[in-house]
Amino acid sequence: MNRAYTVVGRILGIAPEEITDATSPKTVASWDSYNGLMLVSALEQEFGVSFTLDEVIAVQNVGDITAALTRHGIEV
Amino acid sequence: MMSERRPLRIALLASFTAKPIADALDRACHNAGIPATVYLGAYQQYAQEILNPTSAFSRCACDVMILAVDTHALAGDLVFRPYRLDDDARRRWADEQAETLIALARTAAERCEAMVLLHNLEVPMYSPLGPLEHAQEFGIKEAVETINAKLRSACKGDPRIYLFDFDGFCARVGKRVVRDPKLYYLGDFKVAMAHVPELCSAYLAYLRPLRVPVKKCLVLDCDHTLWGGVVGEVGIEGIQLGPTPEGRPYWEFQQHVLALHERGVVLAINSRNNPDDVLRVLREHPYQVLREEHFAAMAINWEDKASNIRAIAEELNIGVGSVVFMDDDPLNRALVAHALPEVEVVNLPGDPAWYVNTLLAFDGFHTLQLTDEDRQKGRFYAQEQQRRHVAVAATDLASYIRQLDVAVTIGPASAMTIPRIAQLTLKTNQFNLTTRRYTETEVHRLAHDARFLMLTCAARDRFGDSGIVGVAIAERSVPDWRMDTFLVSCRVIGRKIEDALLAYVMQEAARAGARRVIGEFIPTAKNTPAQDFYRAQGFVKMEGGGANIERWERSCTGAFPFPEELTVDGGGMQSVRAI
Repeated sequence: MNRAYTVVGRILGIAPEEITDATSPKTVASWDSYNGLMLVSALEQEFGVSFTLDEVIAVQNVGDITAALTRHGIEV
Repeated sequence: MMSERRPLRIALLASFTAKPIADALDRACHNAGIPATVYLGAYQQYAQEILNPTSAFSRCACDVMILAVDTHALAGDLVFRPYRLDDDARRRWADEQAETLIALARTAAERCEAMVLLHNLEVPMYSPLGPLEHAQEFGIKEAVETINAKLRSACKGDPRIYLFDFDGFCARVGKRVVRDPKLYYLGDFKVAMAHVPELCSAYLAYLRPLRVPVKKCLVLDCDHTLWGGVVGEVGIEGIQLGPTPEGRPYWEFQQHVLALHERGVVLAINSRNNPDDVLRVLREHPYQVLREEHFAAMAINWEDKASNIRAIAEELNIGVGSVVFMDDDPLNRALVAHALPEVEVVNLPGDPAWYVNTLLAFDGFHTLQLTDEDRQKGRFYAQEQQRRHVAVAATDLASYIRQLDVAVTIGPASAMTIPRIAQLTLKTNQFNLTTRRYTETEVHRLAHDARFLMLTCAARDRFGDSGIVGVAIAERSVPDWRMDTFLVSCRVIGRKIEDALLAYVMQEAARAGARRVIGEFIPTAKNTPAQDFYRAQGFVKMEGGGANIERWERSCTGAFPFPEELTVDGGGMQSVRAI
């Protein structure tokens, strides 16, 4: 299981099995702007990284999160 | 009126995104055993919510409102360019902002009859003037400090409004890190997620006293807690205590403990030692700060520490739930935590260098009012020791009371006594017939409500003055008076003081032409000492009270003399009628 999916599932209140790289605010109702920021905070805490403002703004879907984590040297 | 069972309704109104704080506060209350609901005001709508009588906030009937307005929201671009205004304009700005915030807090307190926690403002770290900031006639830091000083003064003069030291919180966390700039730019978060739990803990220090009984007594271990080393092994000369690198942590720890005692925390010793070894340190060690006179009880023996705490609580006539226990030994702590889960066990860290920090971080003794009675409580308990000696010598209750020379003064509530009345309703558990909890705001309202008679009873005897120890609140309904609240501090139960206070109410009721006085008794886990009071006073139990509340009646015809064992000063009679 992709570890990022676990965090996304916990914050957005959906089952990790339902998550794919294509999961996005368009496909998940609970992914509003507030929960998006909660997600940033939870991912940073979980993986001990700090995203830049640009990285956060650029995220369109879960695939972008995975890519950002990989850039920070995190194996998801 | 507050009942302990109803969830505490908290409203959080903020000038920034406060949802993470509201969510965390909800969890923090839950974890602290305080059922609560948190209403979060609309984003940046704090003023509208308070001023509009039909807003969601105005209708939410909260018990506590937190008003969190931050410097940035208040100052706007003055934060960036404080010196675009001249000194006079900045001064006017500061005055206006302080007045606006105070007016909002007062309106909210009135509209909701709520306790208001008013944030002060974070004083900016940065000034474009650099070191010359402090040479400026009225600089931006001084402007914000001035607002804070005005907020503090307003809180001092208004029992409904408490200052929340947000600037102090920011300083404690670190002003460089209290905000996460990214989340601030993305979502107007003004407190970084990592620091939200600490902010909630700081709020809880104000909320806990509304629902959870305040801790009264600090029970301390000796070896490795009050001093370094085991006195039974190394002797009084060998322990570490005083102005040396290894002795100073204990020495300063003791000074902080003494400061708690001086503001009313009762102290006790719980030590596995030979009594003589410990007593010698208390009496003779030059750097021992806490002396015999500071301890209301001492259990120095080889019993287990949980049994000792039970004995100490019994001796002091306080509940085990109001005890805090500090011991360096994890085994003793575990034993006490297991045997007496109501006791709050503080985990002293392994390194004594951190003892003081641990003690200062502990907020279980925090109260929302501190009365003269509180400050003297340590002394009251010491006098109690002497009274017990009289009790042993006296052969019956009447002669015991006569030997004590008990005198009581009963009179109506006044502005001076309202804080103490609120405190007694919040803290008295045993001899409390209805256990109705009233905040200072509520007591204030009842005291000014002509339908209610609110009486205080102060007591003194040959060993000292106990201050206000009893409260009676009667509703002067027609034809029968209803006793809403009747309580006496457990320290003085059994000295006929409760009889005197009740006789006073009966006399007043008879004088006012009431037909009967109806006494209410609401049983709780703790108020069994009061369960037979009305029966003993000649009241008759009425039918149909139900399991949750008993009603007792007594006719107002006849005489209601004061107990003859004590002296009653009824100085308040005329003013009772005048209220």
